[in-house]
Amino acid sequence: MNNNYNFAFLDEGSKREIRRCTLKAVAIPGYQVPFGSRELPIGRGWGTGGIQLTLSLIGPNDVLKVIDQGSDESVNAVNIKKFVGLCTDVETTNNTTEATLIQTRHRIPEIPLKDGQILVFQVPIPEPLRIVEAREEVTKKMHAEKDYAPLWLQLYESLVKYQKVTIASEYPCMVEDRYMTNPSPIPKFDNPKLHNAECLYLFGAGREKKIYAIPPHTKVVSLAFDDVPFERESFAGKTCRLCKSNNTYLDEMFDAQTGEKVYQCSDTSYCKEVAAHA
Amino acid sequence: MTSTLSKKHDFDTVFDSQEVFRLILDALSCPARVVSIQKYADKLFGAHPLFLTLALTLLDNEVSFCVLGDDLLEDEISSLTLAKKEQLQNADFIFICSAGEKEEAQRLQTAIENAKCGTLADPHKSATIIVCDKSPAASYVTLFGPGIAETLECHISHAVKNALELRDAQNYEYPQGIDLIFVSNAGELFALPRLARMGVK
Repeated sequence: MNNNYNFAFLDEGSKREIRRCTLKAVAIPGYQVPFGSRELPIGRGWGTGGIQLTLSLIGPNDVLKVIDQGSDESVNAVNIKKFVGLCTDVETTNNTTEATLIQTRHRIPEIPLKDGQILVFQVPIPEPLRIVEAREEVTKKMHAEKDYAPLWLQLYESLVKYQKVTIASEYPCMVEDRYMTNPSPIPKFDNPKLHNAECLYLFGAGREKKIYAIPPHTKVVSLAFDDVPFERESFAGKTCRLCKSNNTYLDEMFDAQTGEKVYQCSDTSYCKEVAAHA
Repeated sequence: MTSTLSKKHDFDTVFDSQEVFRLILDALSCPARVVSIQKYADKLFGAHPLFLTLALTLLDNEVSFCVLGDDLLEDEISSLTLAKKEQLQNADFIFICSAGEKEEAQRLQTAIENAKCGTLADPHKSATIIVCDKSPAASYVTLFGPGIAETLECHISHAVKNALELRDAQNYEYPQGIDLIFVSNAGELFALPRLARMGVK
């Protein structure tokens, strides 16, 4: 551990502010609590919101897992793990069930998370209304008035133009019938995992300076019309080339020379575990 | 001759704060779940070590607080955390010390009726009320809300039931509201955030 820095890098005042905001976020599910996002030794937009949440949550008894697009071994995940390890000395793991604290970019692990586990999301754009309204003061007022008509209109226009909903990730959802929330750029495939979960979901947007939360056993409904229900990505007929799973979120890989398409689990630790027990 | 400087409190503001925060987070995420902060409170001296534990974990010069029932505690919290003493109506954190049943009910009523509840645009600018509840569990209620799977039968004291009834009587328009944290003499803590409601789902 690098003793030139405070435990978990941030000073205690910063941690306390983030902790207070986290508690408010949990008390008001889906509401974006503004916070004073701190400078970190990486650029904003590279997961600083998630890192600040992780640093304010983590203690010596935690076991940390970091994933990036489902992978434990990508550059972003490895470097965040190294950074947090350098300033805390906490144990890290690739095993989802062993981890008490999981920081993620753009995926929710395939293995259902348990009570006591916390999933921290890195969020680039926390505001689900940003796509229909550029001004922060207006979106804030829209949330206050629960005015989500422009978002419904966008969904309708998508259906009229393309005969289907074209939102692939960042699919907005309604939390506890009150707040329209951006579940960070997770694929639609993961949206149902937010509803009535056992674990606590925390979302941190460093550049946009917002923290929000979805506590356990919270009602989360993905945006949909009565006659056009929400649909997640379908991988019917496709299996992972490594573990043969047919019920996971699959990455498509393309061989330019042979023209062959292959599929592989996005969640690498789950894939390895299934393959090892096959 | 050398003299040794000894600290009045042994509470570690880095590691103990982190552990206490995680316990509060757990309690707030799962309303009515009881967690123990006694071992951290044992590191603090004075008449209200449980309140000091929470104050040292959550308060600093960025927030304001108000204590009902003990001026000495107010001074102690102010000097330890540098948090601003504030009138009840504007305080971010309100600590209610235990007293006789009647007096405690009166303090609770004053606090809940006057605490700030945020606005529709800024619901986070609302108060958290921390209550020391010494009375024994006396009634069964059904709780529901985020953090509770379906409903939860809960054995609570008169003071807690009274607090929930007083909060309901305010008829806050959600997301406005106040969050309640209760600590017992034995160092047990549980929380009832604004969406934890009493009754039938």
